[in-house]
Amino acid sequence: MAVSGFEGFEKRLELQFSSHDPVIGIGLRQLDFKSVEQVLHQVQCTVVSALGNQHFDSYVLSESSLFVYPTKIIIKTCGTTQLLKSVQPFIHLATTLNLHITELRYTRGSFIFPQAQPHPHTSFQQEVVYLEDNIPTSLCYRKASVIPSKLTSHSWHVFSAGAVEYSDNVNPLDLYTVEVCMTELDQTLDRKFFRHPNDGKNGDSAGREMTEMTGINRINLNSQICDFAFDPCGYSMNGIDGDRYSTIHVTPEDGFSYASFECVGSVYNDDMADMVKKAVKVFGPGTVSVATTAASHDICTRIKATVEQIGMKCRSYSMDEFPAAGTVVFQTFTTRRNYRI
Amino acid sequence: MGEEGQVISCHTVDAWNQQIQNGKNKLIVVDFAASWCGPCRAIAPFVSELAKKMPHVIFLKVDVDELKEIASDWGVEAMPTFLLLKDGKTVAKVVGAKKEDLQQTINKHAGNSSSSA
Repeated sequence: MAVSGFEGFEKRLELQFSSHDPVIGIGLRQLDFKSVEQVLHQVQCTVVSALGNQHFDSYVLSESSLFVYPTKIIIKTCGTTQLLKSVQPFIHLATTLNLHITELRYTRGSFIFPQAQPHPHTSFQQEVVYLEDNIPTSLCYRKASVIPSKLTSHSWHVFSAGAVEYSDNVNPLDLYTVEVCMTELDQTLDRKFFRHPNDGKNGDSAGREMTEMTGINRINLNSQICDFAFDPCGYSMNGIDGDRYSTIHVTPEDGFSYASFECVGSVYNDDMADMVKKAVKVFGPGTVSVATTAASHDICTRIKATVEQIGMKCRSYSMDEFPAAGTVVFQTFTTRRNYRI
Repeated sequence: MGEEGQVISCHTVDAWNQQIQNGKNKLIVVDFAASWCGPCRAIAPFVSELAKKMPHVIFLKVDVDELKEIASDWGVEAMPTFLLLKDGKTVAKVVGAKKEDLQQTINKHAGNSSSSA
């Protein structure tokens, strides 16, 4: 492994808001772009492209992605960004729209270069202390946990806090989140995420070419894609399909190659396992982790079965319960030839 | 016409048809946007700047709520979507608030008539 390199593993934050006013309308989507940019500046990233539909707005960032729904913000950032510095400003901005926070969830995998992380991300313990200090006491159902796997390099860090306990009533649409982290990408496949010097393309057009050439556009045929290719390498995309987002980020350099796929699913859409399989096939990774939040056992086992269809072997299946987020299941896979613990 | 250098909002189907008719032989850039769409608001100032810089190109704006049938006729599914039209036909499409791509695509199709009388 390289001594130092780009940290592909993202930090992810989901903030859920609510209003006493029964008519929320477009809620957080009213936020002035300049205010959002100021928050991103504190995190140390910028917007590179954006796309919306009637349900939500999506932004491709210089370091990963931001999604803004009327009452929900999802932001994930990679590298050495200081994601948690956005918690207070986002809560404050929402207050200006009479929206108050009702739930927060912070998740991440295991950093490849933990020593390179700045405050407050120097350790999970520090992150939890920072979060505890920066959220209102009304979010009283709290839990922090590290879900292990048999692979020492992969564990799943979760901090969840909510004003009410999780139940199916809180989640009437049965929405769940799937976060896939892939390392040791196939070296032939990850070459496709390098730009060709002087190709006359811009980040947008080079990104569009990568989307098509790699088959990313075939993961969900119903989604509208907003993509971007970084120079000299790296790729990000957001997909929007009705009220569901998906997002992919790629750090292709040898020694610390990494790709992530994340998608929100609903029990009414039965295609999640198939999408995870297609996404994993794009990268041919040596190791894969899949974290599902608030999904049924049935969905998790279906994902396991489809990932195993493409030559991966499930090495661990662990779970934990969070009072405000429901069940989080963390599975890890390695290629059969790559069986080492 | 007093509209050169500005983004012209089309509020009715008639106004839209009129603009398309008037714009024959010219490049038309249509910004399909919505008031509730953050990315549309984010890129609007940039589009206005382009319109100022390129008076030989016609810039139209269509609110997808106001002119639903036009947005759906032209296959607009996400916002903002920019269509580049010549003689009433789509010559290029940019989906998303992508400044560099939008500018390059317009440059490619606008020709070199910026000094037109």
